[in-house]
Order: sequence, then C-alpha cells, then structure tokens
Amino acid sequence: MTDEAKVTCGNRECRVSENGKCVEGLELSACPHFGKELEVDPATSDSETTPGLLLPSADMLSSADAADLVRSRIARVTAIVGPKGSGKTSLIASLYDLFQEGAVAGVEFARSETLHAFELACHDARSASRRGVPEMERTGFGEAKFYHIDISGAFAGPGLALLLADRAGEEYRTATDDAGGVTQFPEVSRADTLTVLVDGQRLSDTGARHNLRSEVIMILQALKDGGSLREGRRLLVVLTKMDIIAGLTDRPRAEADFASLLATIREHFADQFASIESCTVCASPKSDVLSRGTGLAAMLKHWARAPALPQTAKVTVAPSARAFSRFVARQSSERANG
Amino acid sequence: MADRSVVIIGLPESGKTTFLAALWHLITDRTLPTVLSFRDLLSGDVAHLNAITARWRDARVQERTAVGGNKLVSMNLKDASGEPVRITFPDVAGEAYRRMWEDRSCDQDVSDILRSGGVLLFIHADTIRPPQWTVDEIALSKKLGLSVPPGGEVPWHPRLAPTQVQIVGLLQLMRQAPLDVGPRKLAVMLSAWDKVSAEGMQPAAFVKAKMPLLSQYLRQNADSWDSRVYGLSAQGGDYDDTKEGAKPNAEAQTLRELDQPSKRIRLVEKRIVTQDLTEPLAWLMDASASGN
Repeated sequence: MTDEAKVTCGNRECRVSENGKCVEGLELSACPHFGKELEVDPATSDSETTPGLLLPSADMLSSADAADLVRSRIARVTAIVGPKGSGKTSLIASLYDLFQEGAVAGVEFARSETLHAFELACHDARSASRRGVPEMERTGFGEAKFYHIDISGAFAGPGLALLLADRAGEEYRTATDDAGGVTQFPEVSRADTLTVLVDGQRLSDTGARHNLRSEVIMILQALKDGGSLREGRRLLVVLTKMDIIAGLTDRPRAEADFASLLATIREHFADQFASIESCTVCASPKSDVLSRGTGLAAMLKHWARAPALPQTAKVTVAPSARAFSRFVARQSSERANG
Repeated sequence: MADRSVVIIGLPESGKTTFLAALWHLITDRTLPTVLSFRDLLSGDVAHLNAITARWRDARVQERTAVGGNKLVSMNLKDASGEPVRITFPDVAGEAYRRMWEDRSCDQDVSDILRSGGVLLFIHADTIRPPQWTVDEIALSKKLGLSVPPGGEVPWHPRLAPTQVQIVGLLQLMRQAPLDVGPRKLAVMLSAWDKVSAEGMQPAAFVKAKMPLLSQYLRQNADSWDSRVYGLSAQGGDYDDTKEGAKPNAEAQTLRELDQPSKRIRLVEKRIVTQDLTEPLAWLMDASASGN
C-alpha cells in the first residue's frame, strides 16, 4: 500500500490531481489554491454544477453553412483552384493578414465567422510558429470548405460577405484523370469568380513549367467536362509567388510563359466564362524582394465585383412589408443588374 | 430602486478587478464629485469589493480572479438626479473569456452574466500582442546583422492569435446566439493608459494605430455596437508584488504617499481627462444617450 499524499486544489475547476496541471497555468508553488481543500462559494454551493454552453465555432464553414450565409446577405463566392502547392492557403491567409494592418485599398474588415480558420492558415507565416522560413498549412482532403469575411467600403460598398472555397489542389488534379468526366465540384458551380492559380515557382523552373501549363489547362478542361462550369461566371487567372519571378535573371521568359498560358486559356475556354482576366500576386514572400501582399488588393477588387450572370427578363415583384422579402428582392435586383 | 447591470469582459490581466477596486474606492471615499455617487451599504454585496479595494489602496497587486470563482458585486448608488440605482457587476476570471475564444464554450452562469446590460471591455494597453510575420523578422534580423535564432516549431493554438483578433472574436460571440441580446453599448477601456500616454495619442486613435482590425470592426459596425473608447489609468503606476520576498516598488511607494488615493486615477475620452470612473457606467446605463 502506498502512502502517497493526496493532491488537492481549492479551485473546483482545477484538475491538478488528474493531469498535474494548474487550470490557471501557474507554477504549482505559485498557485494560491494548490494544496488547499475545495473552496466553497456560498453563492453557488446550493446549486448543482451546470454544464458548459457551446458557442459558435470559428472554423471553416461547411457548404450548408456557406449556403445559409449567402442566402442571408449580399455575398460573393470565389472558388480557388490550382495544382498542389500553387499557394491557395497562402493567398487566403495573406489577404486576411492585410486587414490586420488596416484597410485594403479603402476596403475594411467588418467581421468574420471563421477567425480560427484564418488564424490557423496564417500561423506558419507568423513569427509565433518559430519557423525559419514562412510556410503555409496545406489544405486537407475532403469536401470543400469556406473561409468567410465581411468587408465594407470603397469597391465593397456598404457590406459584402466574401466566401472563399478551399479544397485540396490534388483533388482538382485528380479530376483530370477521370475519363468519365463525372467529378463535380459544387463550389466551382456556385462561384461568382473561379480563381485559377498558376504557381510562379514552377513557372520559373525551365523543366517544371511545361507540366504546370498542362496541368492548369487540363484542370479547366476537367471542370468543363464534369459540368462544374456554369454560364456567366468570371475566370481570374492569378500568377502567384511573384517574389520568385521578380528575383529571376530570366524574368521576361517567365512572364512570357504566363502570357502564353493566358492566351491558350482564352482560346479554349472563352465561351465558358463571362470574362477571363489575370493578375499577379506575392502573398507570402520568402524574401524581401517584394512586399507581403503585393497584388492582393487588385485581386480582392476582382472578387468583389457583382456577378456577371446572363441577362434574364426582369420580373417585377410587388413591395413586401416583410424585411426578409425586401432583402431577397434587393439581392435579386442587384444580381440581375450585374 | 432601479436595478441595472453592467457586463465587464476582458482577457486575463486586462485590469478588470483593478477597475472595480478603484471605482469602489472613489465612490466610498466621496471626496471627488462623480456622476453616480454613494448611497448606502444596505443589501449590497461589498465584502469582495472591500477586500480588493484594500489591496488597491495599499498599492499591492491584485490576486488573479480564480477560475470558477465568479463573483457578482453590487453597489447601491444615486444617479445625477438623486434617484437610487443599484448596479451589479460580475468579477469573472479572464480565463473564462479566454475559454470562450479558444474552446468556444462558457459556463451557464457566465452566459447569464453576459446577457445583461452594457459592456465594459478591458484591454491592457501596454501588453497588446500585434501580429508578427516570419518574413519581416528575417528581414529585420538581416538588417541588424543578426542570425535568426533556431527554435522548435510551435503548433497553432488559438491563444497565439494577436490580441485584436481575440477581442474581435469575443465581441462577435456577444452578438451571436446564445449570448446575443441585441444591439448594446460598449465602452472599450484601455487600461494602463499611463504606460502608453507618452505616445501622445487619443484613445480612439490608439486603437486605430495598435489594433487596426478592432478599429475597422468597430467602425464598420456590422454587429451594431454603440461604442466609446476610454484610456484608463486606475492604478497610477506599478504596484508591489504580493509574492513573499518581493522587493517594494518605488512607484508604489510614491502612490501611497499621495494624500488622496483617488488622485491615482485618470480616465481619458477624446480630449477630456477626469477621475470620475462612474462616467462610462452612467453612459452605459443611459438608454437615451447615443455613442459618438
């Protein structure tokens, strides 16, 4: 039989006897409650301990949650597509991080239901991660999930919900192996803007650039054949990791390769989109050649644009006294007017 | 007598208990004019207030509010027109708010407390943790000719989020079920204002400069807060540590030598400087007054 002393703590929420840790994060010797008998709070001693209440999550939104949000306010959905390692997470994290320092081209942060998800995405580029080189968490496999941020001001108008769909790049690439063309990506079908990323690092590699160009074209083809591209959506082709291209001696060659890829996309997919545009970004540079976030404001402006849906006959709706009906009517009117 | 509640929230060590102590001293001392003033001790729950206020007068650091030791304290006061008013405040450990941000949960009793009255949000102005990026740190190290110290990689945890993100996260939770009770007034209290006032900024400008995300959130106001920002110096300086063997603090000694402890207090809103800590409470409780 052991004669071990019983570990006690006066704080009823402390589990030091089970896990050896002070619930307040103090050294045991510094904790004023450690070693004392359970303290009784007269205000609560008569009542039973109540279970904790669950509060809303701050992780990425499921498709269903994203759909609810889109129905409740003016929103823009963007699907970000690109081969593995093309910088999706980096792009999303860096845009959020720009708001940490102030307005982005006059647009301000209003709120976000996915703060934990954004913070997780940013972590590996932050000093707190203690990484020597900024890296970004890779997107996991599975259903596409959504980052959310409400923005206001300048080109975002009085208020706009931005939903950024994220799915593992490998899943889009795998669709190119699907000869039946049955792989569908609901987030792409729903997106107001399809954003295709072109990895600047691979484009700057004389060997890898050919496969990169082929992969981008084939992903678009797979989205088309799988029926994920719907009429009237915009396409934005984004050249990422511009810090690497900017540091090249052969920068003009890489830029010419990007222009050539863009021309090929326009040649084969012009009929699939209301517009095909491009921009260049440096989301999370690994050196100080370009500033962190270069080009993201221009990209945000593309994402905030009203949907370019095909013109349909206008339906006159009688004014309704119900606030929700008025809101839906306003949203429909905005969409119809492009 | 009208019963009113004011919610006090803030992360650990943001100055919540110190504010309550300074407020109770100011009200019971009755030497300085205040918008809300002392009425009586009847039916008040003042034992906790007396204990924390005694430490404040002695210029000794407050003990951390124990997790699970949530206390409701009440003060019987008179408003500017002499009408009796009883104000109830919670003294809840900052860890409870940290748990809300990190674990997305809170106790039922904390939830009940949070669903009543205007909100006093405390932020320690001198310990704001800004976001910092690896690439900037490397660039700075290069500029200074220093090597970046190697270190084990740290996995992500919500506690690592910058202060402004945690604060925005808390405020958003207050406007979501099950804590939401509709639009409310919000007094942002930047505690330890004496430590940062040398920067020469007004409190609202300080928030814009040091916590731009919070500033944008309040300005765009998607959650319909009616807000004001105050700079608060409730201690007046550094106090004596209560740990055994800790050396006395010279600043604490200077504060003790003031004939009126109330003179340690400074509250700044825009360009107005006062010692009246009841002013933000009166504003929070005034249903007719608007924000800025």
